Amino acid sequence: MSANTLSRRDFLHAAMCSSAACVRLSCSALTVSALFVAAGKTMAETLDTEISTINVLNPDEAADLAAIAARIIPSDETPGVTEAGAIYFIDYVLGSSRSELLAPVREGLVALKARSEEIFSQSDLSRLAPFQLDALLKEIENTGFFAMLRYLTVCGTFSLPEYGGNRDMTGHTLVGFDHRHVWAPPFGYYDADYMARGE
Amino acid sequence: MAQAPFATRDEVDFVVIGSGAAGGIMAKELSEAGFSVVVLEQGPHLKGPDFKHDEWAYTQNEELTWGRRKGHPQTFRRYEHEKAEIVDGSALTYAHNVGGSSVHFSGNFWRLRPIDFMERSVLGPISGTNFADWPITYEELEPYYTKVDWEIGVSGQMGPWDPPRSKDYPCPAMPVKSSGVLMERAAKKLGWTAYPAPVAILSKAHNGRPPCIHCGFCNGFGCEVSAKSSSMAAMIPLALASGNCELRTLCTVSRINTDASGRANEVLYWEADGTEQAQRTKAVVLSANGAESARLLLLSASPQFPDGLGNSSGMVGKNLMFNGSSRVAGLFPEPINAHKSIPTTRVIHDFYSIDPSLGFYGGGGIDSRSLTAGRPMAAALQNPVFASSNWGSEWKQNLMREFTHTCSFNGHCTSLPLSTNNVTLDPEVKDKWGRPALRTTFMNHPDDFKTMEFFMERSVELMEAAGALEIVASYNKTGQTGGVHLLGTCRMGNDPDSSVVDKYNRSHDVPNLYMVDGGSLVTSGRGQPTMTIMALAFRAADHIKQAARKLEI
Repeated sequence: MSANTLSRRDFLHAAMCSSAACVRLSCSALTVSALFVAAGKTMAETLDTEISTINVLNPDEAADLAAIAARIIPSDETPGVTEAGAIYFIDYVLGSSRSELLAPVREGLVALKARSEEIFSQSDLSRLAPFQLDALLKEIENTGFFAMLRYLTVCGTFSLPEYGGNRDMTGHTLVGFDHRHVWAPPFGYYDADYMARGE
Repeated sequence: MAQAPFATRDEVDFVVIGSGAAGGIMAKELSEAGFSVVVLEQGPHLKGPDFKHDEWAYTQNEELTWGRRKGHPQTFRRYEHEKAEIVDGSALTYAHNVGGSSVHFSGNFWRLRPIDFMERSVLGPISGTNFADWPITYEELEPYYTKVDWEIGVSGQMGPWDPPRSKDYPCPAMPVKSSGVLMERAAKKLGWTAYPAPVAILSKAHNGRPPCIHCGFCNGFGCEVSAKSSSMAAMIPLALASGNCELRTLCTVSRINTDASGRANEVLYWEADGTEQAQRTKAVVLSANGAESARLLLLSASPQFPDGLGNSSGMVGKNLMFNGSSRVAGLFPEPINAHKSIPTTRVIHDFYSIDPSLGFYGGGGIDSRSLTAGRPMAAALQNPVFASSNWGSEWKQNLMREFTHTCSFNGHCTSLPLSTNNVTLDPEVKDKWGRPALRTTFMNHPDDFKTMEFFMERSVELMEAAGALEIVASYNKTGQTGGVHLLGTCRMGNDPDSSVVDKYNRSHDVPNLYMVDGGSLVTSGRGQPTMTIMALAFRAADHIKQAARKLEI
């Protein structure tokens, strides 16, 4: 990565700062693409330059999928898919253990982009406002295509970072899963209370 | 490859097919007794350091359980007139590695109770089923349960809740978790007894193995410190140390051959690279599990045994039982952290036998668990429990709240044996070796549904007594579509016309062939069958050793 390229960490920091500002000012302003724009880049540009490990998806596909994933597990008061870098995971598995999903994902994206163009006159999903993308996803939430995207998004958020997503254990931290190899009692509130009471 | 101690053309005393819960014990017992033993295991020999906390690899990519993604598709159908369809993953789930499913199981180790062995005599027949007494009693098996306790390593607390036992547990009960405390307190309110769950996980060092470190990755994962008492950790090292046992991994058995007199004399298998081998042997112990053993017997059909080896009764593959289940999730105000430590620390057996006056057969137990084996990916993938949507901010907020603040009171209960529930060879679908795929045909008996509903209702009462803020209850109302307890497919019995093996797990048809795994269970018990599978293995091994020394095999 060149010195004048925004590092991923710097980018996320900027994005999160923007996110916080957006939340304070207006919920409707909280879009993934807006975060990228706030960071000085479009999402496609960012993916093109920032994510050097996107090998299977083209930049537009990656941007679209990242935008969709960011609505499935949004970044709001807490980090979501974007911070977890699930798109890296999605790209990785679409080129390996889930290669059979690549064609259906691409086909589904083409159809969804067409629908977006029809409704919002905008086929670039990463440039839609969140409520627009949510409306689109609501239309397809019971389809196999959406189930695939949800599956990939969730797995990318909660798999080990070595597969590309769950960066800095973002997904695990989100749900309160502290990934340690050794624990000792008490494990939770009720067994601590049980011990304290001598039950 | 190291020099093999036994050449395939030299006749060994025993070939043990499968190194799981039963196979590991058979290998250890027979080799320590001085017999030459070759163990054929289709999976690799993974050990503690090989295991990882990797949900993607283990639960989604079937690293241990294989299935369709690894070239082992299975098919499923409800009824015999239907065409079976390939399932995603596996219908019959088991681990493919040394130690078999004892490596990735949850370690719950319930003994059967005296009633399990004679329930048919006590309750009478159940129409349309193969409900039967066992040919052995609890008293006959009890010494072997105790042998499992001490040789395999079981933690628990002896008490009035136990079936009769001749010796205390070798290790004290595991520390109670919040989910167990909630259950125990609720049970007291209802006048029931929640007692420390017996588990095949060490609470203290035992037999040279260390105690549990409470990492939480038991169910579906291998234990990194070998505190889980798998046959891989507890038995295989002893078998190999005997000097009489050769463990051949990545070796997939294709058939068992017989000689002109109908005795098993040769086991055919493929090595990892596809090379075909044939191991000559004096006797065969088939411990490939309740799915694979039945398939291999059916695959070993010959003009002499046209319906499959050892299948003169027609019972090979039939009477498949899984154990029923129910799940009641509860959301609590304080952190439970069910993902830490072992799956379950308290169990209730107040309803081991449901009152027959209710009009149906059944019984079981309830234990306290995590909703999704404590795994965050599984929690996020499942249908939302306490939310209306499965994506977006609201769902995310619920997920953040649910993961640490929920537990589940799960029912584990009986399944009735039916001829129509079975394992057969799929006529069209093949696995990577060209063998017919496992085809499962299964639909629960009506009493199974009533039993699952009964346990769900009791768990709801428990959850209410525990003070859950929200409760979501479920059981499979449309019928089970698979399982991890693979029982009944080579059932034990005295009558060769209605059973596959005798009371010592010996084939009625082939005198030097033993089937020792979950397939030999006559009834399902109430869940957690591995303890009984292991006890039966120790018992069968004792018999085999005596018979072999008297040249009666």
